[in-house]
Amino acid sequence: MRRLGKEIWKNRAVYIILLPGLVWFFVFAYMPMGGLTLAFKEFNASMGIWGSPWVGFENFRDLFHDPAFMESVWRTLAINIGKLIVTFPVPVVLALLFNELRMRRYSKVLQTVFTFPNFLSWVITSGIIINILSNTGLVNGIFQAMGFDAVNFLGSEKMFIPMLYLSEIWKTAGWSAIIYMASITGIDAEQYEAAQLDGASRFQMMRYITLPSIASTIMVMFILAAGNLMTSSFDQVFNLSNAATRDAAEVLDMYIYRITFQSSTDFSFSTAASLFRSVLNMILLLAADWGAKRMGGTGLFGQRGGGKHEKQKA
Amino acid sequence: MKSKKRERRKAKSGLKKRKYTRLDVVIFIILTLGAVVIIVPFWNVLVVSFATQKEYADNPLMLFPGKPTLDAYAYLFKDGKIWQGYINTFKLLIMGLPLSVFLTTTMAYGLSRKYFPGKKVIMYLVVFTMIFNGGIVPMYLVMRQLGLTGSLWAVTFSTCFSVFNMILMINYFQSIPDSLIESARLDGAGEWKILFRIVLPLSKPIMATVTLFYGVSIWNEWYDAMIFIRDPQKLPLQNVLRSIIQETEIATSATGSIAAMGAAQFDDGIKMAAVFLTMVPIMCFYPFLQKYFTKGIMVGAVKM
Repeated sequence: MRRLGKEIWKNRAVYIILLPGLVWFFVFAYMPMGGLTLAFKEFNASMGIWGSPWVGFENFRDLFHDPAFMESVWRTLAINIGKLIVTFPVPVVLALLFNELRMRRYSKVLQTVFTFPNFLSWVITSGIIINILSNTGLVNGIFQAMGFDAVNFLGSEKMFIPMLYLSEIWKTAGWSAIIYMASITGIDAEQYEAAQLDGASRFQMMRYITLPSIASTIMVMFILAAGNLMTSSFDQVFNLSNAATRDAAEVLDMYIYRITFQSSTDFSFSTAASLFRSVLNMILLLAADWGAKRMGGTGLFGQRGGGKHEKQKA
Repeated sequence: MKSKKRERRKAKSGLKKRKYTRLDVVIFIILTLGAVVIIVPFWNVLVVSFATQKEYADNPLMLFPGKPTLDAYAYLFKDGKIWQGYINTFKLLIMGLPLSVFLTTTMAYGLSRKYFPGKKVIMYLVVFTMIFNGGIVPMYLVMRQLGLTGSLWAVTFSTCFSVFNMILMINYFQSIPDSLIESARLDGAGEWKILFRIVLPLSKPIMATVTLFYGVSIWNEWYDAMIFIRDPQKLPLQNVLRSIIQETEIATSATGSIAAMGAAQFDDGIKMAAVFLTMVPIMCFYPFLQKYFTKGIMVGAVKM
């Protein structure tokens, strides 16, 4: 005990350095986490989070009786699984293509173009996309010039999900390709030389050297993406949806936002939804972490990509 | 790593001597088309912002505005909403950037020390917030209890720490040779002095990276502002842009008919001018962003 006290005293400067950060974590991370207890309480504004009376699982009973809630959970999963399948291979293919492009300088120029949209917010991106997809916009202009009917991209529920996938690819594929390109750079050049001597075609080299060499990176990225299945890219959905597509767009985060800030403001009820979301998300992330580690990666906390560091929303 | 790259380049240049094949042409075309698909929407934003609404309605395919006009920009300038947004976003940067960098640096430095009682517990508690958080509702109530709702400080405080950035920094700090720090300690330097005199001067690249990370995420911030701030005068730029874009969005898409859209009074040029004005700073910083963000993502890739 005295030794521990001594150790603490010896390191007092470290604790003082840590103090500002720890205060932040206590107030803005752990207090809201403690606030989740509200899910088991009946919120009373005058008594605040901590003073409100306990009601057990009542809020959860209400939550599971709200058909819109479970619908939004399934919709989130459906949209995000589809998104994973559609968008995930694109950066891999892009990286392979870039690797085969033999004009170095042109390749640099193209990469500059491909990675740019990643740095824009979804507010800006949605503005750009709404502009070209609107009924009087560029895409419909091209359609009409080619003799097709105009398509109502923005106001139709059928087009909404394809639009999510395509805009996701447009914004993020170039950036996500970088990690695969980095991993391709690490491949031993001797392998290619040996294959060349054996008369392998470029396609064969890509198929039998490049692709297997980055397979573990692909796998790890896939598992990590699967860990985010419940975080439904609120930014994107919120900014691309409108009154006409509201129903198709109500993913879990949209549901939580709606019940909290737009319809009723029963804070305990929405906290219950919030807690459900956080727990589900944590389980998925831990499973992903476990999977990534088993695949030989360093897991969730060693190697998240620079563009993916945005805080989880809602 | 370096030599491998060089070998690879040599191998590549060996390939280069061969003639371009059909495969090269196909790859060239696919990638070029991809780039066109990315550039055209941006070009369209510019064109629309400089064209009159009538010209755009007559010919949505125009590549250049026939009679370029600054009307849209003049309107935004007079309206003033967007400048207020600029001011508020700059306030967020001035308030948030130093705070974010300070908190992240001190946390990262403390946690990069080899041993002190409680280090593991603190590390776990910090990393735990990456996989589990209270979510927006309790956060909102906490902010309300602290009396911060309605103020930009709520946005600053709720977004000013990124565990990911902290981990990047810890990794970097740990790569600084211990002998440097130990000898400074023998000379009687305290932890603060070591941090500011020894560690930080050696950590310029990571400081630049993390500052840019925070800068971009503050610039792109709109969600927390939407939750915490009601007064339109206090909203940051992205929220102002959102309101400009969505204003008529709602009116037109609800009816859904093309005729109604054509009849919309709102000027697309103004919306696109606002998009462009919000994008300009990111474009100016893009060379740095590309360089440092790529470095950040590479750190991850190499570790994998």
